[in-house]
Amino acid sequence: MILSRRPLLLGAAAAAALPRFAIGQSDQRPSINIAVQKISNSNTLEVLREQSNVGERIFFSSLWEGLIGRDWLNEMKTVPGLATEWRRISDSVVELTLRENVRFHNGDVMTAEDVAFSFGRERMFGETLPTAQGRTISIRGDAIPSPAQRELPAEVTGVARRAWPALERVEVVDARTVRFHNATPDVTLEGRLSRFGSEIISRRAYQEAKGWFDWARKPVLTGPYKVVEFRPDHSLTLAAHDEYWGGRPPLRQIRFLEIPEVSARINALRTGEVQFACDIPPDQIGGIERDRAYEVQGGTILNHRISVMDKNNPALRDARVRRALTHAIDRKAIVDSLWGGRTVVPRGLQFEYYGDMYVSDWEAPKYDPALARNLLREAGYKGEAIPYRLLNNYYINQTPTSQVLVEMWRAVGLNVQIDMKENWSQILDRNGSRGVYDWSASAPFNDPVSCNVNQWGPNGQPQQVGIWTNEESNRLSVLLETSTDRAERKRAFRRMLEICEREDPAYTVLHQNATFTAKRKDIKWRAAPAFAMDFRQGNWG
Amino acid sequence: MLRFLGIRLARALLTMVLVVTFAFVVLRLSGDPALLIMSADAPPEAVAAFRESWGLNDPIWQQYLRYFAAIFRGDLGQSMRDGRPAIELVAERVPATLALTIPALLIKIGLGVPAGVYAALHRNSFADRAVMLLAVAGFTVPSFVLGLVLVLVFAVTLGWLPSGGQESWRHAVLPVITLGIGGAAVLARFTRSAMLEVLGQPYMRTALAKGVPWHVAVRRHALPNAAIPTVTIIGFMVGSLLAGAVVVESVFSWPGVGRLLVVAVANRDLAVVQCILLLVAATMVTANLVVDLLYGALDPRLRAAPRGATA
Repeated sequence: MILSRRPLLLGAAAAAALPRFAIGQSDQRPSINIAVQKISNSNTLEVLREQSNVGERIFFSSLWEGLIGRDWLNEMKTVPGLATEWRRISDSVVELTLRENVRFHNGDVMTAEDVAFSFGRERMFGETLPTAQGRTISIRGDAIPSPAQRELPAEVTGVARRAWPALERVEVVDARTVRFHNATPDVTLEGRLSRFGSEIISRRAYQEAKGWFDWARKPVLTGPYKVVEFRPDHSLTLAAHDEYWGGRPPLRQIRFLEIPEVSARINALRTGEVQFACDIPPDQIGGIERDRAYEVQGGTILNHRISVMDKNNPALRDARVRRALTHAIDRKAIVDSLWGGRTVVPRGLQFEYYGDMYVSDWEAPKYDPALARNLLREAGYKGEAIPYRLLNNYYINQTPTSQVLVEMWRAVGLNVQIDMKENWSQILDRNGSRGVYDWSASAPFNDPVSCNVNQWGPNGQPQQVGIWTNEESNRLSVLLETSTDRAERKRAFRRMLEICEREDPAYTVLHQNATFTAKRKDIKWRAAPAFAMDFRQGNWG
Repeated sequence: MLRFLGIRLARALLTMVLVVTFAFVVLRLSGDPALLIMSADAPPEAVAAFRESWGLNDPIWQQYLRYFAAIFRGDLGQSMRDGRPAIELVAERVPATLALTIPALLIKIGLGVPAGVYAALHRNSFADRAVMLLAVAGFTVPSFVLGLVLVLVFAVTLGWLPSGGQESWRHAVLPVITLGIGGAAVLARFTRSAMLEVLGQPYMRTALAKGVPWHVAVRRHALPNAAIPTVTIIGFMVGSLLAGAVVVESVFSWPGVGRLLVVAVANRDLAVVQCILLLVAATMVTANLVVDLLYGALDPRLRAAPRGATA
């Protein structure tokens, strides 16, 4: 046989051009590596402890699933998850029909008992009792199983009660039906069921784990991929869960690699060691896409960047000074210059997926330096220093944004001075003078209760640490949590926005947050408008 | 000798107590671990519960006494993030760090000392200037810059080596070289200076005047005397075997003690930070102790010196 050199060379070139994924001999599905800045802040894979953006990425939709899911690729709409349908029994009770033949990663079939256990004292609430409007609600103790002799980290119960402040019990009606009984009327029960932290676990696996942390590092769930190995601060390896109810997963293995440096993540993508590089800052996008083999996907997520103002700072006590701060900001200039126009200025602290509750004619404060100057004059502001406690790029573009803000404020006569801090504890420290600081706001489910009330209501952190409070806004928060009159709730929410953003400003919205993922262009995969990465059937190849 | 050892050991213990006390106080005054581990968005109830369960509401002196009492029981505390004993977490990372720092130390000594000796013996020659130019470049370029340049050349452009991670020996090559080059440069400069000083000493002239061949005079008289400052530097390098790769571990995503320290400090995972600092202090004082003993072996004058006159 005579072989010419050209076909051989062409063959070699074609082989080199093929995706460099590991392909197993018995399983032809590809394996992928994903470079991330951080895998888990808390070194656990438990949704009730790792309540972070980075946690969202590794959890959804690969590992954890709830009764009501989200369509990550379609405006985050609520969709049937481990429950196929749900109906209201009363203002405080929801009944759900469970999906059949859902198997956990250990092969067990999911039952109604698993669902009740997932929301029980042993796993979620410990000794805490449901509360509403600051009052503890007595419950029928016999309806709830007693906790086993294992230590549930105290913060888990705190997170659980924040997600479900008034959940009384989960009733097993029959093998495929459960009822969620709330102690108070609540129109957001379905939303709470779809939120981060309301997922279903295997009762047997939880109880068989040696301790809570052993469970939390290798939870047994229903998602399309299961945990093979978790090396904190290094890597997380997931393998396909072939008995997944939603169909055979398209990937054999997913490996998240923790690479803290941006340049190192991009280099790993270019060398082919990883197929995805996450957490790409906007200023790196152009450089990556100059090579036509790569593209950067992603965009806005359900998280707004805000500036918080301490009402108790002597210079900020007068609401007109705080209003001046809000009107001195050219938000569009920040979005265009620091984000390359890849994000947007939202209509205040709200999200379109609030649906009926979204106040569509609301606006972020207008950029109006003249108005800002007038407000300062009327308030008698004499240039007193306002400290700006700042972390070094905890949020993407945080430091450059702060420098732009300080200059914009200076232009209208506000004397805001940056005071670099190392951590959140120092930002919120009551000692010394607090003025302005950066924060962000998420909406775990599609109602203002999940964001506005959670963050700015009486139990929100700013009120807890003494930064801001408003009596009327607090009354509205309670109304939003307990009223079932949708029109009244919408009026209350609009009024709450008026108070928090205009009359007695607690914060001002800067822009919507965004996340960007670089990938090889030849990989057919779509990023969700979230940190979550969907690797189920239908979003690969 | 026993008195010498006793004084050194007492100093070593005092150093370790001071290091740990300093870390204990500074960490607690500069950030609330509950807020850092739970994140700023965590519900206040959860933060309060966390603080309570870890005894962070107690006065700092009570926490300090509790910590020291536990150390004497051999308990270095539990990680707040992992829920596991801090010593277990640190011990898991030690082999990974030593896998970088020990080969890097060999490179430092293997390259730096001969280069310094060679440059000194060929003072003002082209080779001397070239070696010193490289040495200056080696220790002035920050390790994270050098690391990224090496990745760009050997991983991205040539594709010979991986850019990061810890999967095989190939993953260790670039971080070891990055660590090794900087240290070799430092050693080369110190060795050259020490050698030049020794070569100008009267005993070298005397030896040569007595007809001792140049290479013998260098081997017998110059090298042992020049070794003292070099050994001091090597002692520091040995002392930093555990925590000397913080930046390089981050650049190359190498899960060693350095990365653990960075993450633990950022999260105020108190027990883990204190455990690492205790080990680092122990390594450093042990290395210094060994160096002190080596001085005696290298320089007979120190062995014969009256009490209290040693370095």
